[in-house]
Amino acid sequence: MLEQGKIDSKQAILLLISLVLPTAILTAPAITVKQAAQDAWLSIIVATMAGLLIAALVTGLSLRFPGKTLLEYAEEILGRLPGKMVGLLYIWWFLHGNALILDEYASFLCSALMPDTPVIVFFVFVTVVAALAVYSGLEVLSRFNQLFLPLVLGLLLVVFLLAAKDMEVTRLLPVFDKDAAAILKGAVIPASWFGEIVIFALLIPFLDRAEEAPRVAVTAILICGLYLLICILVVVMIFGPHVSARWIFPTFNTIRVVSIANFLERLESIAIAVWMFGGFAKIGIFYYAAALSSAQWLGLKDYRPLVAPVGVVLVALAALCRNIVELLNFLATAWPPYALGLFEAGIPLLLLVVARARGKGGRGA
Amino acid sequence: MIVLLIILFAGIILLEVPGLVKKKMWRELAAFAAYLAIGMALSIPQALGIRLPNPSKAIEALFKPVAELLK
Repeated sequence: MLEQGKIDSKQAILLLISLVLPTAILTAPAITVKQAAQDAWLSIIVATMAGLLIAALVTGLSLRFPGKTLLEYAEEILGRLPGKMVGLLYIWWFLHGNALILDEYASFLCSALMPDTPVIVFFVFVTVVAALAVYSGLEVLSRFNQLFLPLVLGLLLVVFLLAAKDMEVTRLLPVFDKDAAAILKGAVIPASWFGEIVIFALLIPFLDRAEEAPRVAVTAILICGLYLLICILVVVMIFGPHVSARWIFPTFNTIRVVSIANFLERLESIAIAVWMFGGFAKIGIFYYAAALSSAQWLGLKDYRPLVAPVGVVLVALAALCRNIVELLNFLATAWPPYALGLFEAGIPLLLLVVARARGKGGRGA
Repeated sequence: MIVLLIILFAGIILLEVPGLVKKKMWRELAAFAAYLAIGMALSIPQALGIRLPNPSKAIEALFKPVAELLK
């Protein structure tokens, strides 16, 4: 076994929230509001349902093959060579997806806060810290996450509550002004974020009670959906759909306008703390997925020798794209079919169909 | 920039390779070397100011028919 650590169900839920939520809160509102305007919250509800379906698909598939990760059972289902091909695609996706997350993380810090610092500095710092966490193993990563994520979620709620003064419910009207197509288009982007839960298929063998995996995944998706819903409602109720859609980081701007009695102001430092932590946790989980799956793909005894070189590849890939507008455009158009269509729903669905047809794997699903 | 990068690579090699050789983990060493080679191929040209093609562009082109629907 590559990973000796075990995590419990609660840690797994928190880990999955960190896997989905950080970048979803930062960049998804702008893209969703652009498509669905004031009906963006309906898009989030649709996306959450899509996320639940993906969670059911991934956990159902994994439970047919107890103790095996996605890469291992892909080989069992499809045969050696096609299985290896699928594994290689996933490794690429973990690396490239993480490079994009790294880009979002650094672009945010760079464009919103420290415009004079070269972006490479942010890449290197967060990658080094994430490398240390990944090197220490899944248990350390999830304990760290368990320590900080509740604080982050709590702070975020408090900040949203403080923003209540400036909210106008009428900005959500008229409901259903946009047609169903626009709402669905708006749902595709958050759905591709929720679908990142497919990484859970790599972690299920390390749960101390693997049979609880479906409950874990569903709880995590519901919490993420709720947070994203609150986030979108707050953003739209404060700024209205037209202003929100024009910003790159509307959530950040929402927190920025909070001002209570001219005293409680400039709460964006909280948003930045949330984002520093969340981005780090998310990058760490993708990083872990890339290192672990590479080691499994090559049949290694240990994934840790790969941690440092994977980090170099990550930073180099992230440095290839250094334009936030280009990045957001990619996320809004090419990312959904690429991530959602191929890796989050397409391949798992194919695996499930083939597994059923060939009678592979045990009980369930 | 390039000097920093070489120091970084030397540091990574010094950190990992002796342990791998001592434990005779040759497979791990080969994988480590392969990843590091990819990392060097991607990072050294960038440090020298050569623009490499961005893989996101290729993916964008590949999924263009579907992506058009989302515009």
